[in-house]
Amino acid sequence: MYSYLIRRIVMLVPVFLAVSLVIFLILHFIPGDPIDNLLKVGSSPAARAEMEARYGLDQPLPVQYGIWLSKVVQGDLGTAIVARRPVSDLILQALPHSLRLGGLALLFSSVVGVGLGVLAALNRDKWPDRAIMGGVLLGSTMPSFWLGLILMLIFSVWLGWLPVSGARSASALVLPVLTIGLGGTALVARITRVAMIEASGRDFVTLLHAKGLSPLRIQLRHVLRHALIPVVTILALRIGWILGGAVTVEVVFARPGLGTLLIKSLSQHDYPVVQACLLMLAMAVMLGTLLGDILQAAMDPRVRAALA
Amino acid sequence: MTPPAPLRALRRPAGAPAGLWLILVILAAIAAPLLTPYAYDIQNLKSAYQPPSASHWLGTDEFGRDLLTRLIYGARTSLSVSSIAITISVLCGMTLGAAAAWFGGWFDRAVTTVVDLTWSFPEILIALILVAIIGPGTTGTMVAISVAYLAQFTRLTRAQIMTLKGETFIEAAASLGAGNAHILFRHLLPNALAPVLVSAMLATGDAIILEATLGFFGLGAQPPVPSWGGMMSAGSALVFKAPWIIIFPGLAVAITVVAINLYGDALIAELDIRARMRRAV
Amino acid sequence: MTMSIRKTLLTASVSLFALFAAQAVTAQEAVFVLNTSEVGAPTYNPIKANNLNKATTLIFDRMVSQAADLSFHPWLAESWEEAPDGMSWTFHLKPGVKFHNGEPFNAATIGPWLEAFKGSENAYMTEAIAKVEVVDDLTVKFVMARPEPNMLYNLSSSFMSVIEPKSYAALGDNYGVTEVYGTGPFKMESFTVGQETVLVRNDDYTWGSPLAKNTGPAHIAKITFREIAEDSTAFLELKTGGVDMLLGVPADLLSEVKKEPNLAVLTLPGQDVYYMPINVTKAPFDDIKVREAVAKAINQEEILASVFGGVGSIADTFLISALPESHVSDAAKIHYDPARANALLDEAGWVMGADGVRAKDGQPLKVSLWTQSDSIFRRLTEVVQAQLKAVGVEAEITTFDSSMIRDQYKTGTQQLAVRSYDWDNADIVDWFFGADRLGYPNISMFNDPKAEELRKAAMTGSKNMAERVANFTAYHEYVLTQFPMAPIYQPVESVAYNADRLVMPTELNAPVVGSTAVMDMEVKE
Repeated sequence: MYSYLIRRIVMLVPVFLAVSLVIFLILHFIPGDPIDNLLKVGSSPAARAEMEARYGLDQPLPVQYGIWLSKVVQGDLGTAIVARRPVSDLILQALPHSLRLGGLALLFSSVVGVGLGVLAALNRDKWPDRAIMGGVLLGSTMPSFWLGLILMLIFSVWLGWLPVSGARSASALVLPVLTIGLGGTALVARITRVAMIEASGRDFVTLLHAKGLSPLRIQLRHVLRHALIPVVTILALRIGWILGGAVTVEVVFARPGLGTLLIKSLSQHDYPVVQACLLMLAMAVMLGTLLGDILQAAMDPRVRAALA
Repeated sequence: MTPPAPLRALRRPAGAPAGLWLILVILAAIAAPLLTPYAYDIQNLKSAYQPPSASHWLGTDEFGRDLLTRLIYGARTSLSVSSIAITISVLCGMTLGAAAAWFGGWFDRAVTTVVDLTWSFPEILIALILVAIIGPGTTGTMVAISVAYLAQFTRLTRAQIMTLKGETFIEAAASLGAGNAHILFRHLLPNALAPVLVSAMLATGDAIILEATLGFFGLGAQPPVPSWGGMMSAGSALVFKAPWIIIFPGLAVAITVVAINLYGDALIAELDIRARMRRAV
Repeated sequence: MTMSIRKTLLTASVSLFALFAAQAVTAQEAVFVLNTSEVGAPTYNPIKANNLNKATTLIFDRMVSQAADLSFHPWLAESWEEAPDGMSWTFHLKPGVKFHNGEPFNAATIGPWLEAFKGSENAYMTEAIAKVEVVDDLTVKFVMARPEPNMLYNLSSSFMSVIEPKSYAALGDNYGVTEVYGTGPFKMESFTVGQETVLVRNDDYTWGSPLAKNTGPAHIAKITFREIAEDSTAFLELKTGGVDMLLGVPADLLSEVKKEPNLAVLTLPGQDVYYMPINVTKAPFDDIKVREAVAKAINQEEILASVFGGVGSIADTFLISALPESHVSDAAKIHYDPARANALLDEAGWVMGADGVRAKDGQPLKVSLWTQSDSIFRRLTEVVQAQLKAVGVEAEITTFDSSMIRDQYKTGTQQLAVRSYDWDNADIVDWFFGADRLGYPNISMFNDPKAEELRKAAMTGSKNMAERVANFTAYHEYVLTQFPMAPIYQPVESVAYNADRLVMPTELNAPVVGSTAVMDMEVKE
């Protein structure tokens, strides 16, 4: 098990290098120049050169990449060119908001999704199954910005229960969490339902039935446990969504977060910030993949046995 | 003789209304000029912001244009952009996935790693970055969407080919001396096709949402050409003044994507490929 | 065990309650929303900023204040004298003024402050000043390199907010970002770029501008300035009581604001002009006839009525009508004239086709029309597109992200665009049409020898205000006759507030809602 873990972690190093290179290169394809945003229009070429030198933009690309990477490895994300402050400050300001929103949305869609999935599986092909699956499907097909605006219209404007936007109170989180959570619920519910149905067909279930355990107990105690493996794996794999996928909802509700920071910096060509945001997301994704594999190994007795 | 699976799927309880809705939307998109007395681009500023009425079934927008007309023309843009994008994505994804599975080794590992990483990245972020590089408009949107879904089809094709590779009929062909290309194009890809096509259809639904989201950021089809996303984007600033401008395109997206999913499910059931689809997730 | 769980639950619910309760604004605290054009301003460093938001005017004071009629009045400078030849200015400073960090404001402040402008974004504001002489502790003399009739305007601009030189030097790039010290009625408590700035009252403040009734400490104890990028979201916040005032309400939302019984609107003359730059170097717009035709195809009245709900006024020159330099001859003013537009296009050889698009030598008259992604620009641009179509010009819209569009202009590939600027001085003509700034801000790529001559006279050849006005009027008028742009619309500045929460001063003697207004503003208990 440990050697497997170590092997997996070592394998992340070349992936990290490749990802950082891709991120670095992609940004330099985007037309436009961050220095333009900074310089007073009509400044002398000398002032421009001075500014470029200050941010290391006068170096050849490979050198820029090397400098950036060595700093990143040491934990220095650089200074934002347009926002004029350490990138780490910006990210640390945004990250808690993203984690809160993404984490709660994930919690919402896991709990509600698993619950509905189990309910649907228990009533397989009967009307509650159809109603639940139809409902969650509808929830996942509404564009999130649209759903967000409609929820805002109903709960903030007409009913006046919740704040319209911002992140100034906990209640401001309700609508964004609901908007993202409803979209994710469908995926979780679908996977849970299928996994439950599949696990019910396994031999051990027949055995448990033969032992005389109550069917509901079998479903909730034993079948669900098996069914959760694919659910957890999928959730871990899609961890990038937690941090970056909320961008549209963040924009609709004028919330701070990693997504908004990324989009804003992208349009201003604030390379250091965009690079750092993408790198953070990529690292989260890599760790999520790792976590998914480990969880799968830990929860599935067969995989556990094979690795021992 | 049994009719082909797409027709059989129409006979299923959920497949029937879903399929009919899709046929209706596609026909309406094609026959748009015949269906409506209004033009999608002529402004009539005096009749702006009219709520739904007998002459304008879904009301008018901020320029006094008939919303139903724009919704029908918008279907043209949204459906064609997303289906063309997905077609490109499928073609590239299949090639890449098949090559990775067939050649194996370091090439496979490299492709798998990159694909797994991009697959785990939110599509909207990939698309937004690409539009920033290519520039806004229909072309940019199409390229962005096709790249965003590339990983999905590469994964799926690769998984299909990997399973098929071990099957006896392939080994038989190889032992009979068939070449790489022959086996890949005559035996492997055709057999991998059905799950890929069905998942392409489902992805078209997601692509419609993605196209709408890019439109919401003002980066999709440029005015006066209507697209569902663009219409919602304009409506989002007017949501309290003329909510119908945003509500109807949103419903159109939701219903169409639900229909695509239900019909896709029916098709999966008809083709009996559920197990093969899931293996690839 | 059960006890501790219950306790935890209790604590959790109490803290949750506290979180919810924190949203209720307590007395003499207010939440304002900044104008969307000021969203994302990265710094409160007035010297190094391109874009400053309204909170800046509360953190800092200025030497000179400007009244509603655009006349100049004392503030940190109690009085001043200009030499008859314009080659020196003497300023007498107000005694007893202190910065937020306790440093005194006096004659020693001025030298290092003006020195900091050298090589900065806003260096042009002080470039006419050759040196600063300290006469006594509260008197300074500016020795000029050339006459600068615009001196008092510059000193009243928020870019010439008086900074505290010692902390400015010590903090470097962090000045205005992590910490900032001015002499203003409010101190910065926190600043999260793109999100919000929290200001708390400066209780020592006794040196307010005489234009406000209250020159002592402000009534409001704490102000939060929120940044909301979308106007409609900001409006919904105001409507639902989430915020107390919007510092900029677009005209198309005014009718919605007026529907709400608890909301009130304060209207001031605007400082924006919406216009359509025309790239004079790109065919077909290298032909002045085509330029004039598209400029006169713009139906300003229709736009005013339909896009802006009749609020504000049409623009027929490049400058806001409050400026004397906007009074050009009637012939130079640009008005909607479809007959003339069609005739000019015919003359230029563009023949109307059956599809309603003109063509010349088999080439259809298709041009690009750029705009930015804010909803009001997209709406306005679609109307402009339709109006151009009416005279047979097919314009293809491209929407760029608002912060990305400047980079696009720098490529010089634009043909037409729809945009706006916000400035209340005639030197904006120099800014947008000067030949040394092609691409951006000279989006029209306008480079005309005669204009350059007139421009030089206007910028540096005026000895006093009257001469400056005459020179700038001539320059402005000539630029108009070359049609490098089409003027469209002048908004009013509208501020919407919750009348149940805020008491506005009955009279406001200032060109904009800023420090003067906030000093007299009160929160209802």
